[in-house]
Amino acid sequence: MGYLDGFKVTLRKWAGVHTDTGRRLTMEYPEEVRPKPERFHGRHVLNRYDDGMEKCIGCELCAGVCPANCIYVRGADNDPDDPTSPGERFGYVYEINYLRCIHCDLCVEACPTEAITESKLFEFAFTDRNDAIYTKAELVVDDDGRPQQLPWENWSGGFDPAADTSGWMRATSPSGNAEFEGLVAWATELGYGTRDAELGQVADVPADEQPETPDEGGH
Amino acid sequence: MSDAPKTTDAPKTDAPKTDAPNTGESPKPIEITDPVEINVDGEQLTVQNGELLIDACERNGTYIPRFCYHPRMNPVGMCRMCLVEVDSGRGPALQPSCMIPVSADMSVDTTSDAVAKVQDGVLEFLLANHPLDCPVCDKGGECPLQDQTYAYGPGESRFVEEKRHYAKPISLSETVYMDRERCILCDRCTRFADEVAGDPLIHFINRGSSTEVNTFPDQPFSSYFSGNTVQICPVGALTAKPFRFKARPWDLTVKESTCTRCSVGCRITVESSRDEVLRYQGVDSDSVNWSWLCDKGRFGFEAYNSPQRLREPLVRDAEGELAPVRWSEALGLAADQIRRAIESRGPASVAVIGGARSTNEGAYAWAKLAKTVIGTDNCDAQLGDGLPAEAVLGLSGLTIDELCAPGGTVLWLGPDPLEELPVLQLRLRHAVINDGVRIVEVGSRVTGLRDLVAQRIAARPGETPGVLRQLFETAPASGDTGLATAAALLREAGDDLRVVVGRPNLAESEDVVLESISVLRSSVPGARFMTALGRANVRGAIEAGLAPGLAPGGVSLSNAAVSDAWSTVPAETGSGSAGILEAAAAGRIDVLVLLGADPISDFPDRSLARRALAATPTVISVAPLLDASAAEARIVLASAAFGEVDGTTTNLEGRVTAVTQKVNPPGTARPDWSIASELAVRIDPAVELGRSAAALAEEMWSLSDAYAELAERPESPSGPEGVLCSAGHALELPATPDVELPAPDSYSLRLVIARKLYDGGTLLAASDSSAGLADDAVALLNPADAAPLGVQNATRVKLTSANGNVTLPARADDSVQRGVVVVHHNLAGADARSLVAAGDTVCDVRAEVA
Repeated sequence: MGYLDGFKVTLRKWAGVHTDTGRRLTMEYPEEVRPKPERFHGRHVLNRYDDGMEKCIGCELCAGVCPANCIYVRGADNDPDDPTSPGERFGYVYEINYLRCIHCDLCVEACPTEAITESKLFEFAFTDRNDAIYTKAELVVDDDGRPQQLPWENWSGGFDPAADTSGWMRATSPSGNAEFEGLVAWATELGYGTRDAELGQVADVPADEQPETPDEGGH
Repeated sequence: MSDAPKTTDAPKTDAPKTDAPNTGESPKPIEITDPVEINVDGEQLTVQNGELLIDACERNGTYIPRFCYHPRMNPVGMCRMCLVEVDSGRGPALQPSCMIPVSADMSVDTTSDAVAKVQDGVLEFLLANHPLDCPVCDKGGECPLQDQTYAYGPGESRFVEEKRHYAKPISLSETVYMDRERCILCDRCTRFADEVAGDPLIHFINRGSSTEVNTFPDQPFSSYFSGNTVQICPVGALTAKPFRFKARPWDLTVKESTCTRCSVGCRITVESSRDEVLRYQGVDSDSVNWSWLCDKGRFGFEAYNSPQRLREPLVRDAEGELAPVRWSEALGLAADQIRRAIESRGPASVAVIGGARSTNEGAYAWAKLAKTVIGTDNCDAQLGDGLPAEAVLGLSGLTIDELCAPGGTVLWLGPDPLEELPVLQLRLRHAVINDGVRIVEVGSRVTGLRDLVAQRIAARPGETPGVLRQLFETAPASGDTGLATAAALLREAGDDLRVVVGRPNLAESEDVVLESISVLRSSVPGARFMTALGRANVRGAIEAGLAPGLAPGGVSLSNAAVSDAWSTVPAETGSGSAGILEAAAAGRIDVLVLLGADPISDFPDRSLARRALAATPTVISVAPLLDASAAEARIVLASAAFGEVDGTTTNLEGRVTAVTQKVNPPGTARPDWSIASELAVRIDPAVELGRSAAALAEEMWSLSDAYAELAERPESPSGPEGVLCSAGHALELPATPDVELPAPDSYSLRLVIARKLYDGGTLLAASDSSAGLADDAVALLNPADAAPLGVQNATRVKLTSANGNVTLPARADDSVQRGVVVVHHNLAGADARSLVAAGDTVCDVRAEVA
């Protein structure tokens, strides 16, 4: 009977998923969606401040750090009477080529203004290579702080700001506070504010003694 | 030597990498003539006695951080960043290494704890007020303050107070922005403006913590050299408008090249991002530009990026409009017309004007096409505003270094160096102020050398030879007249006289200059000459053969060695531009090729140029932009411009340096040599002109012994000093013509048409930041001439000559000599060339209030 032993595993699993749905691994995607991990890296968004101004200052640090060379940024002078971003300079061109992007999040880490962060949106497929190049108009969040849904993106699972905003971690500390080095935080993009840092990231500090996430918005 | 323990892990930035272009921040090369031993960080070094400690250390591999010190300017010790512990026998003490000359047995510690602490402190103080807006700052990424803060800084600031605030960038000039918040008061820009440029238009104002660099009220920093302050600013306080927010420094890829906006040939880096040139920086060429550039050169890339650039060839269609066509069609038509002209009226009915905008390779290809394939000698790289080719090549031999050699005497008969050869003016200024060079200037108006000349002798147009005769033959031995002083200076110089000749006045015939040269050669046989012609590669084009009667390498056609590459030479000697245009106006030219030349805008006799172009059935213009002459042409071939072609260029000394391709030409525009090569095949299918620019260069260099070094090592022009060549030095000067001046007429004024740096030129008009800098045309008169005419400021006057008249505003100006009226060339409002007829020695005009 030895050659039938292998089938026991198959039969057990088969019976298991029909009697106990908690053991089932496959899902009826896309009708059902699996919850994504906290730091899941999806497509980027360009954030704005509460007053609607863009956070991007066109400094190109994201493009400079990008290992896949998928970001193209050019700055320009802000019109002092009708500025796009605070300060002298704004991102005039901002493009990400998703045929090249490896979602490493280094751009997010490099950004001095938390202008670029990632969402957890990942379900997009293109029939035209040009569609894969997201322009600034497509990346910038809408007035409610939500990413814009583009025609080739599948949002069938809906968009839940709490669940679909990627947590991010910087080699430096979030918000410039040295005590928070190595902690995960969430960008304070328009509409979502701050959330608590992910705890337990620093090995030698017990979770209940770890510092609180700073709650000031933006920079 | 300090007893303090050395911090072995002290941060140290690397000395500039050897493969990076030296943009002037490294010490200039020296020869050790008086060696002394010093000890730096425990290492025994042999250095030149008296040189600055900071230079001695850097040359031997120990980089001392600094902000205010620049090797091409006098040290001031403003920033205190270069403090090191120096022990000259009385124990170690902190001293600024940029102010301390080395002396024997000096012991220096650049890494002691005290030094590290002082560097920490200096940076913390500098950053107390320096904003941390590096992400938006154009300097961020190549900023000495940023780099040195990372390397030597404290890492954290204890300064929590509000930083000082000023209005963000204020305009200092049309091209330079000033951000006073970022300024660290290093005195580099103000020292440059004062010491190097001689335009002390920016200065420290206010005191204490309110000190800032600014202009005088209502006086912009309108220096021709303002862009250099941006390059040497160690922070982002001074930024260039044409580069503002265009790209970050790490976007730029860099190639070294040579500026071709004038014949000085400054070494530059061409820096581009995404196939667009965004910036030039000066490179320190010790024999040429010392890292300085003029603004016209520095911001010249704007013209080549202009949307007006020609992207494809144009041919005049049935309606008489220039319409884009394919290259095969345009080249086919051009070759057809040339072939037909040769068949019907012989090769002399084809002429080529221009080539000075091109590389040596482009000029050589066209010279070979004209002289061997077509068989015409009607070629001229000059537009009636230069000197005979034999004079340009045969007279030369004086380099800029020799011209500026300490203690020498210079006789300046050339154009205004500030307006035509700006960086040469900087070299002369340094030579006069620091090296005791004395300049005697003979001319009809005060030039940019105004404060530098030892003696200026006024000479109306046409009178220079007479003045020279007086100076060398009849001048009184003593006395305090200008003439006597000048004569004494020249006598003192004896045979070691350096003479600069050129065409200071377009309304004065070249014959006057030739006569002056002949007077000098007979009076001072040892005098050495520099021909200061403004057009960039005019010398290279002439050497390549684009001059009547000359073959490549500066030999006359009759002496040209016949080789495989240069199999035939034209049977008859052709004429220069004036002759070509006259023949064209008389209907004797069938095809006229304008190789980047614009006779309608540049030839001194405008009406002749217009008539010539109108009477020529086929005018072919090879140009990067549609200039006034190209707009009249039948065929326009879009050519690649500077930064889009590889090759070499030759400056006014005869120095061959490389120009490099950094970006692709727009559309289908192609290099001059390739256009010539294609045309040659279409005219005669058996001919192959050359397969590449490098092949053409090698062929040209093999034709003359003057290029021996280049033929052996073709890579050598790519160094910053290039290769000095002596092509054409053996040429015989043309016979001195008889110059007859018109009879003196006390009612007439003699016309001077001079050039300005910013004029209505096609390239300048296509540059955003420079287009507005050209003035409107004004007639400048001596106050003594202006008063009797009733000229107030901006009174309109009518100038009338035998050939025409122009009406323009006039202004009294005491820099103009009596009896002379100065009008600048190619400015909006009036074209004084309509007063001039080609062939006249000088041009006398009557002025009346209009």
